Amino acid sequence: MTDHPLLDIRDFSLVFDTFDGTYHAIDGVNLSLQPGEALGLVGETGCGKSVLTRAAFGLVPSPPARITGGSVQLQGRELLGLSDRALRQVRGREVAMIFQDPMTYLNPVFRVGTQLVDAIRAQSGGQTKRDEAKAIALDMLEKVQLPNPNRQFAAYPHELSGGMRQRVLIAMALAAKPKLLIADEPTTALDVTIQAQILDLMAELVADMGLTMIMISHDLGVVAQVCSRIAVMYAGKIVEDAPVARIFDAPAHPYTKGLLAALPHPFRRQDRLESIPGTLPDLLHPPAGCLFAARCPHAAPICAKPVPMRRIDDSHRVACTLYDPAREKDRADA
Amino acid sequence: MQRLILKRLGLMVVMLLGLAVITFTVANIAPGDPARLAAGPDASPDMVEKIRVERGFDRALPVRFGLYLGQLAQGDLGTSVYTGRPVAQDIAVFLPATIELVLFSILIAVVLGVPFGVLAAVWQNHLPDHAIRFLSVSGVALPMFWLGLMLQWYLSLELGLFPLGGRLGTFDDVPTTITGMISIDALLVGDLATAGTALMHMVLPATALSFPALAAIIRVNRAEMLEVLGRDYVVNARAQGIGPFRIIAIYALKNAILPTLAMIGLRFGWMLGGTVLVESVFDFPGIGLYAAKAAISSDFEPIMAVTLILGAAFMLTNLLIDLMYALLDPRVRNQI
Repeated sequence: MTDHPLLDIRDFSLVFDTFDGTYHAIDGVNLSLQPGEALGLVGETGCGKSVLTRAAFGLVPSPPARITGGSVQLQGRELLGLSDRALRQVRGREVAMIFQDPMTYLNPVFRVGTQLVDAIRAQSGGQTKRDEAKAIALDMLEKVQLPNPNRQFAAYPHELSGGMRQRVLIAMALAAKPKLLIADEPTTALDVTIQAQILDLMAELVADMGLTMIMISHDLGVVAQVCSRIAVMYAGKIVEDAPVARIFDAPAHPYTKGLLAALPHPFRRQDRLESIPGTLPDLLHPPAGCLFAARCPHAAPICAKPVPMRRIDDSHRVACTLYDPAREKDRADA
Repeated sequence: MQRLILKRLGLMVVMLLGLAVITFTVANIAPGDPARLAAGPDASPDMVEKIRVERGFDRALPVRFGLYLGQLAQGDLGTSVYTGRPVAQDIAVFLPATIELVLFSILIAVVLGVPFGVLAAVWQNHLPDHAIRFLSVSGVALPMFWLGLMLQWYLSLELGLFPLGGRLGTFDDVPTTITGMISIDALLVGDLATAGTALMHMVLPATALSFPALAAIIRVNRAEMLEVLGRDYVVNARAQGIGPFRIIAIYALKNAILPTLAMIGLRFGWMLGGTVLVESVFDFPGIGLYAAKAAISSDFEPIMAVTLILGAAFMLTNLLIDLMYALLDPRVRNQI
């Protein structure tokens, strides 16, 4: 591991200006990835996982979104404030994205091959010739183990199954040999057997191409299969960040514990799965302290104050007052 | 594909029959005595009665309808009382003028409407969008004939930019009839000056005729572009680093144009109907003006013929639009 992270997001905050007021979607997120690392970003729907990774690379329309602070550095280069054109090159060449629903991420009225060739040419800034791009595309289709690449190249998206389309999208994303892959719930829309195939394929490609990856998911099981580290997001903040084994064996944040309790256990008989009571806080008027306090069994008066990320050890960070020495003192005072 | 076309053509015959029934009934229960009109103002009651029997006006409506259909089946559209010529001959003269005018109007509406819709969507809630929406609201709100009169008054009478009406000036030579569309005929024989004059004569009526269609096309295309630009495949294209022009003009527009196409087909029908008003205002000798004069003088057979021809034109256009749908959307193509 080098000292320079591939991706370094610092104090990143983003709001949406809505009719009802300012919606604080992302609040002071810090996240950094070493080259070759595979990070799982987990959290429930609406916690800001997708928005964070899209906004960092200029994919969230503004307005209504507005980045209110922080920095995003890719290999030491600041991305916030770059022109559209420059960001487009970053997206094409250095960062690749795969999305949730392969059914809707391919354009229905163009052939698969046309879309692949267009993407490959755009990724190279128009440098690649059409026939070269076609050769690359067919090569990539082979790499993602799509049966009969020549035929699929000439097919329209609706003629392909969900799994096949996701393979096409993976081929498209990886054609430019990017450094960073952002996989936004790449298997959520697929059925379980296909899910496993796609995850295997991705793990294989990530290893082969030496990719750094962020995999967004609300499924801890999926993330554990592919990633080495997990960051847990709640209501626009990262609340815990640790290696996969630590998250499963010794989760520190009550929210993470709640998420794990909600997973079915293979050896324990359970009639009902645990759930976390309550719902997400109102991000139009977020409380100053811990956003999870209202749902937290360990909530204490100190939780009403801002809660910084705290290092438990070298690889484990958590934002919770349970690990704040001041908490005991606070209790003693009270 | 061929099966679809044949099926649709078969359906067209049925629909035209329905159209004939309705028009025939309406034209006959409308006030006015066709025998009296045919006989002329000076005819004696005896002569009127004679003509009534001679032309079959005294028979029951269904019988007359049957006779009329028999006549149609032989390709005979009847005779115009007003012009005194066979209706087929009249239509051969007037229809090309209207086709020319309507095609020119459709061209204006599409060539301006589609890009305006795209621009408005891309600049949603900014100045270009506001300006374009103002234009399209005016298009929906202003009656065609009123707009025609205003254009005529201001651009023609006040500023003298365009001719007041007609297809050509009084002293212009009409080019040899090939298609009957003067601008195209003139171009075919290489007479650019006449082609230009003919186009200048069409600018005002075509503007009036195309304005409501333009408005509708803008609105549909704008709404559809807004929707499509928010779709996932647009996000993916942007994530691949594809440039905004390609995304908007190709990736998004090819999807957004589909509902716009349907709108164009519908508006084509409205335009055919609108020619009755616009051709009257601009004294443009087309089938609309012919129909208007025929209707005023209760000239029965021309009314029937014009209605059936415009109906057929509308149906054919929409068949064409459906085929274009299949051309643009592979999902539709697979179903036919």
